[in-house]
Amino acid sequence: MRVLLQSAASGILIGGVYALVGIGLTIIYGVMRVINFAHGELLMIGMYLTWIIFTWLGVDPFVSIVFVIPLTFLFGAFLQTTLINRVLNALPQNQILLTIGLGLIVSNVVMLIFTSDYKIITTGYSSSTLNFAGLRLSTPLAISLAITTVITTILYLFLLKTDTGQAIRATAQDRDAAQLMGINVKRMSVLAFGIGTALAGTAGSLISPTYYIFPQVGGAFTLKAFVIVVLGGMGSVVGATLGGIIIGVTESLAAVYISSGMKEVFVYVLFLLVLLFKPSGLLGSSRM
Amino acid sequence: MRPDAKKARRISSRAKKATFFNIVGLLTLGLLFPAASLAQTVKIGVINSVTGPEAPIGENLGNGIKLAEEDLAKEGIKANLVWEDDTGKPQIAMSAMEKLATRDGVAGVVGPYTSASANAVAKLAQRYHVPLLVPAAAKEEITRQAYQWVYRLNAPANIYAQVLLDAVTEFGKPKTIAFIYENTDFGTSTADAGKKYAEKKGIKIVADESYSKGSPDYRSTLTKVKSFNPDLVFMVSYVVDAVLLMRQAKEVGLRPQAFLGGGAGFTTAQFASEKDISNSVLTSTQWSDDVKWPGAAEFGQRYRAKFGKEATYHAACAYAAMMIMGETAAKQGGDRKKVREALASGKWNGIMGEVKFENYDGYTNQNKHPMLVLQIQRGNYIAVYPPQFATAKPVFPFPGW
Amino acid sequence: MRALDDKPVSRARGSARLWWLLIAAVMAGLIAFPQAMSSPYGLHLMILLFLSVAMGESWNVIGGYCGQYSVGHAAYFGVGSYATLMLLQYKHVAPWWGVWVALVAALVVSLVIGTICFRLRGPYFVLASIAVAEIIRLIVLNWKQLTNGAEGILLADLPALKLGDTVITDWLSKTPFYYLGLALALTTLLVNYLVQHSKLGYYLQAIREDQDAAHSLGINLSFYKNVALAISALFTALSGIFYGLYIGFIDPPSVLGVDLSVQMVLICIIGGIGTNFGPVVGALVLVPLSEALRANLLTKLLFAIGVVRESSAVGGFLKENLAHAHVLIYGILVVVVILFMPDGVLGFAKKLIARGARQLSEAPQPLVGGLHGPTRD
Repeated sequence: MRVLLQSAASGILIGGVYALVGIGLTIIYGVMRVINFAHGELLMIGMYLTWIIFTWLGVDPFVSIVFVIPLTFLFGAFLQTTLINRVLNALPQNQILLTIGLGLIVSNVVMLIFTSDYKIITTGYSSSTLNFAGLRLSTPLAISLAITTVITTILYLFLLKTDTGQAIRATAQDRDAAQLMGINVKRMSVLAFGIGTALAGTAGSLISPTYYIFPQVGGAFTLKAFVIVVLGGMGSVVGATLGGIIIGVTESLAAVYISSGMKEVFVYVLFLLVLLFKPSGLLGSSRM
Repeated sequence: MRPDAKKARRISSRAKKATFFNIVGLLTLGLLFPAASLAQTVKIGVINSVTGPEAPIGENLGNGIKLAEEDLAKEGIKANLVWEDDTGKPQIAMSAMEKLATRDGVAGVVGPYTSASANAVAKLAQRYHVPLLVPAAAKEEITRQAYQWVYRLNAPANIYAQVLLDAVTEFGKPKTIAFIYENTDFGTSTADAGKKYAEKKGIKIVADESYSKGSPDYRSTLTKVKSFNPDLVFMVSYVVDAVLLMRQAKEVGLRPQAFLGGGAGFTTAQFASEKDISNSVLTSTQWSDDVKWPGAAEFGQRYRAKFGKEATYHAACAYAAMMIMGETAAKQGGDRKKVREALASGKWNGIMGEVKFENYDGYTNQNKHPMLVLQIQRGNYIAVYPPQFATAKPVFPFPGW
Repeated sequence: MRALDDKPVSRARGSARLWWLLIAAVMAGLIAFPQAMSSPYGLHLMILLFLSVAMGESWNVIGGYCGQYSVGHAAYFGVGSYATLMLLQYKHVAPWWGVWVALVAALVVSLVIGTICFRLRGPYFVLASIAVAEIIRLIVLNWKQLTNGAEGILLADLPALKLGDTVITDWLSKTPFYYLGLALALTTLLVNYLVQHSKLGYYLQAIREDQDAAHSLGINLSFYKNVALAISALFTALSGIFYGLYIGFIDPPSVLGVDLSVQMVLICIIGGIGTNFGPVVGALVLVPLSEALRANLLTKLLFAIGVVRESSAVGGFLKENLAHAHVLIYGILVVVVILFMPDGVLGFAKKLIARGARQLSEAPQPLVGGLHGPTRD
């Protein structure tokens, strides 16, 4: 029982990070209908930024989010205006290929600059734990869950209460109608991609004290992000949050009760089941 | 015109005579004073993991070889090294070997680093008849295929496990053991050897967890292992996973009598420097700078002075391997067949102790190298076993986090 | 009086004859190549080229003609090579028998994947294809008793190919692999051609252009998609088998990884999707490029020209790192192709040639051609 609770707890903690990645992807898809295969690489950029700030300026990874968010947002906006914008009306297959190519470019440029050596960030609390109801929770992951909750709440409020947020949601709901209502859909796309990138980058920062950093780290996260987004429902922020937690817990329990090597299989099988039987996901409306 | 022509002919014949005597003179000098003659050149191939996930360890191997290059030069041997990067992938190591064997015409090859690459390359060395000296790869199979052209300097995987388990059964009385290892060639072969030996020693295996490397989260696996309350936890990983595993082991509160690290990631300075999590970890190694082998201490000092970090066993193995290959190739004039025969029959004594390639117990051309157990105490590697190499007392059992 | 269309016909016949001569010359060159080339490295490059052509052409059937972009084709590549190598290494079944078992296995896998994935459309199909390939990779990785897991399968030498008592080849040099690779590449080209000019190809392209319209015309979507996938899977598996036998070592990341799947798609996209020769062009672009980078030839060229000095910081950086940049170049090529050359390099080249031909033909000419105009042939 103890093992079950402990695994579930660590699953929730890591699920929080996954959720952040998924939310970014779902916003991008919701607003632009672009399947962003380079999402994991955006997370990787966040990790490297954090590493640079940590190594050269001595700033704690969690504090460096203050820098990472605006920097990655700008990077995302840049990518959108120069590249993604051109394929908004192209075949989805071409969009996918473009983002795949983009991902390859980003990860390999980073590899050229930083070499493919694995980097580790060691902080004073990298291996400390909190005691919570008899369970041991990883301190850095607990902090990242807290920060994720704050960010998600701010984002949700932004989307619900502010004018720009509502404009984004309108664009996601019906691009043409939004345009007819006078919303600058082009700017919304830039915003959406920027926000999505910032969220992915932040997830990278949050996970960096507990993982290691290398140029190809994005690949695994991209696939998982898609699973989360489909599970939660394409375009649904709450869905992505739930999806992230579910995937985190599934992985964790599979590692304990089946085998560590096979835990991803369960995630992918779950993915296929959702795609086949409930493609709109838990909270999305059918967009097939 | 004619007198000039005659003069020219006289001059040229005088010049010819002078040149002739110069050459004879030089040759004589060369025979009498071999070191004074032009340095002997040998072409040797090196396959190493310069980039890729194994790069931090590959760097140690490379540094060791560079030091050997210097020392060979001091002996009058100019080692013309052809460096190949296998990026940690066996297929690339294989094409590197093909290139060295067929296009570069090397006298012999030192490397590669990883077990997977070494095993793949061994087959090609045998096919192309190129002497291969493996410095640090653990997989037993590499020298169990009766390949006459493949030689291994380091002790194979079973010794990694053997020496660790021998050590802990002397320090205490552990009854159960858990294995956590990456599901690669290196991880699997070392863990398999460990499991076999543990059974032989009567230690019960309570957990057998192989993981795919690159996962961010081993917590649930470690929690599961913790629930079996093992006396020993035996881990086989490269650098970054070693760090993550130990960090997360501390998080979940895994507390066996000892953490055993099967070489590789656990023997690097980077791992040791994470003092929070590396303290009291026992690891088996091929070499340490405080053993009494000739030149070991000086090698350690030289390495530290030149590269700014501690020498690992990979550096020492690579150094010794290159010294042996370089000297042998030079003596045999770069002839592959003669080099092979010289490797088979030769004997050396250096920073890795005595080296002799023998056939025994199903091994072919395997050096019977004794391994040591090191313990990380406050960020430093201290030799604690076997007694003839130990420089300090071990901390056993694990004092806790 | 000569017919108005006299010239164009003879011109067309003439240029067709030229094409055939060209093809015959290329074929003769390819067949004679190993006799002329003594270096195994040259043969190796050509073998890589043939392999890439075969992979690209195989993917083209389902991706190019049928419009279903599978980014999980490594599944068939890996199943083919694993089945054949496992039979060879563990059961000592010669590869020319083992290949049939492997092809059946690949066929079964393609039917299963097709049934699962073809219900999905567009991007969802892409995602599902990746997920399935990853599942297969993880199963192969973890089922150690069957596949030797992460350690992979290292082949002992191949059995000699004998006809009666005469040994045709003992596989110890690269030449037999060269001819085998050439045959494989030519076969996939032929298959592509046949599919394109058959009724099947017609249906596939209809499905590609508008699935629902095709369905309303009575085309059985599921059947034809599966046929296309089966054909594609068979030849991808053959490529995998060829790769495994040639290199002599396979492990899950090398034959079942996502990067391999992506590479197959890239060969086709960069060359020109949905065309017969597109993947050939793609392979011609990618293989020499990646080898030139890996062997540092490009760097040496830059040094030789004098653009960069070897001793400078940039020079040192390039020397160390450009060798690993070939994937970066793939990425850049893909982005460039998608944005500016949607018909691939081949399509782009065709457009240039067409534009050039148009400019030539737009030169002043009498309306009625033939009698007094300049002869062209």
